[in-house]
Amino acid sequence: MTPHTPSSRNTPGSPERSGSAIPAPGEPTDGKLGRVIRVLSANPLVELSGTKIAEELGTSRSEVWRLVEQLRELGVEIAGHQSIGYRLESVPDLLLPEILGPLVSGTIFDRNIHHFFRISSTNVAAMAAAAQGEPEGSVFLAEEQTSGKGRGGHAWASDASAGIYCSAILRPALAPADVLMISLAAGLAVSAAVEQVTGLQPDLRWPNDVLLGDRKFCGVLTELNAEVTRVRYAVVGIGINVNQSRFPDELRELATSLHLETGRPWSRVELTAALLKSLDCEYRALVTDASAARQSVFRRFEQRSSFVRGARVHVEEDGGYDGVTEGLDERGFLRVRTGSGMRTVLSGGVRKP
Amino acid sequence: MNQKELKELVEFLIEKDITEFELERGDVKVRIKRGTPVAPAIVASGPHFPPAVSYASQPVAHAPVASASAAVEDGDNGLHTVKSPIVGTFYESPSPGAPPFVKAGDQVTLGQVLCIVEAMKLMNEIESDVAGEIVKMYVKNGQPVEYGQPLFAIRAR
Repeated sequence: MTPHTPSSRNTPGSPERSGSAIPAPGEPTDGKLGRVIRVLSANPLVELSGTKIAEELGTSRSEVWRLVEQLRELGVEIAGHQSIGYRLESVPDLLLPEILGPLVSGTIFDRNIHHFFRISSTNVAAMAAAAQGEPEGSVFLAEEQTSGKGRGGHAWASDASAGIYCSAILRPALAPADVLMISLAAGLAVSAAVEQVTGLQPDLRWPNDVLLGDRKFCGVLTELNAEVTRVRYAVVGIGINVNQSRFPDELRELATSLHLETGRPWSRVELTAALLKSLDCEYRALVTDASAARQSVFRRFEQRSSFVRGARVHVEEDGGYDGVTEGLDERGFLRVRTGSGMRTVLSGGVRKP
Repeated sequence: MNQKELKELVEFLIEKDITEFELERGDVKVRIKRGTPVAPAIVASGPHFPPAVSYASQPVAHAPVASASAAVEDGDNGLHTVKSPIVGTFYESPSPGAPPFVKAGDQVTLGQVLCIVEAMKLMNEIESDVAGEIVKMYVKNGQPVEYGQPLFAIRAR
């Protein structure tokens, strides 16, 4: 299935349709697509007539037909046709608000889920929206990123519907120093969600890379807009490799996916819901009692990370140096004992040589 | 000696109105001289001393030493100081090899991104809180910075 190619399944006599099923990059997903799925999944056993669906959506039968065709092109399995009605064969693993929203109700992330089939970067979109006043808890999800962002100008390979590309807007009433905890907490949240859904127990590489064996399957990049004493907003961007079955040669030794590790595909919807619930817990704890949350984060990080104590590491920053890790300092920075004394890693870029 | 201890020491010296102080402890040597009109100077050396302190050696006429982590206006010279809201690594450009956000002599607008300070893979884009001309960049690319450390001096317009 190649959702990028423009409609190749145009049936004769069908109304004119222009361009690809996928909206232009950065264009939010038509909310009616998710609502069609919602209506169909509420009636799983029967063919639902186009007229009935049109009524539910407040639109026309021909519009319903167009939406169904678009969904099919996106890989959603819908049986039936205009004359007998439509039936959903299986709930698609698309991160549409209509599918994901109900699964995260009660969290701060249940209200403003923005879905894109294709976008340059969910972090860029979320930062721009936050600057325009988008509220806390808004989530930006994409099936595909054309220029996914990693640290220090690295790209994040973001194949269509294989991974989870998720950015959440937070507006914590915290001092910038306490906001750093979000960085560690985000890695813990991913780790907990993956364990809950798959049973795997990932490793954490300070500050928040999530690994299976010595290969990375999740990265977190947080962007902050802050004054000296006050945080305006933060965007936590999380990329998770879920169903990739292979990686390009240059990534093969470094990257893995949940599929590669377990030999089976996983529901991105289920994983994303678990992730947002887990992130919600961490975040609430942090804004409720920052110092208690800090202790809890440190304790769990030490339990879950093979990097935090007694690991021989190479540190990239500050000219690059080698040493052995000796836990976190009171701010959460990684301490590394080197030949010339104790040093503190500030930014990231730690690896086992 | 860490940044906090140094700050406490400086505050103690101001409180007691001590104008000159020298300390040698192990491989750390600290010399502080304060008072007006002589420019205050902090000289620190030692293998583990945070390089972050070097900013304090920028002479700032008529300003008490403690202003390095407090005031926003730099006394008589009228320059506006942009400071780091977090501890982290200073980056002058959005990614390695890319041109810097700004350089000395540039005119900047309110809200324009001046640099990034990164801590724990948290990237903090530091915006200018005034419009004006970049007069000085206190920190070099890739250098660690402390909380509240001056990053830029801007002549507001």
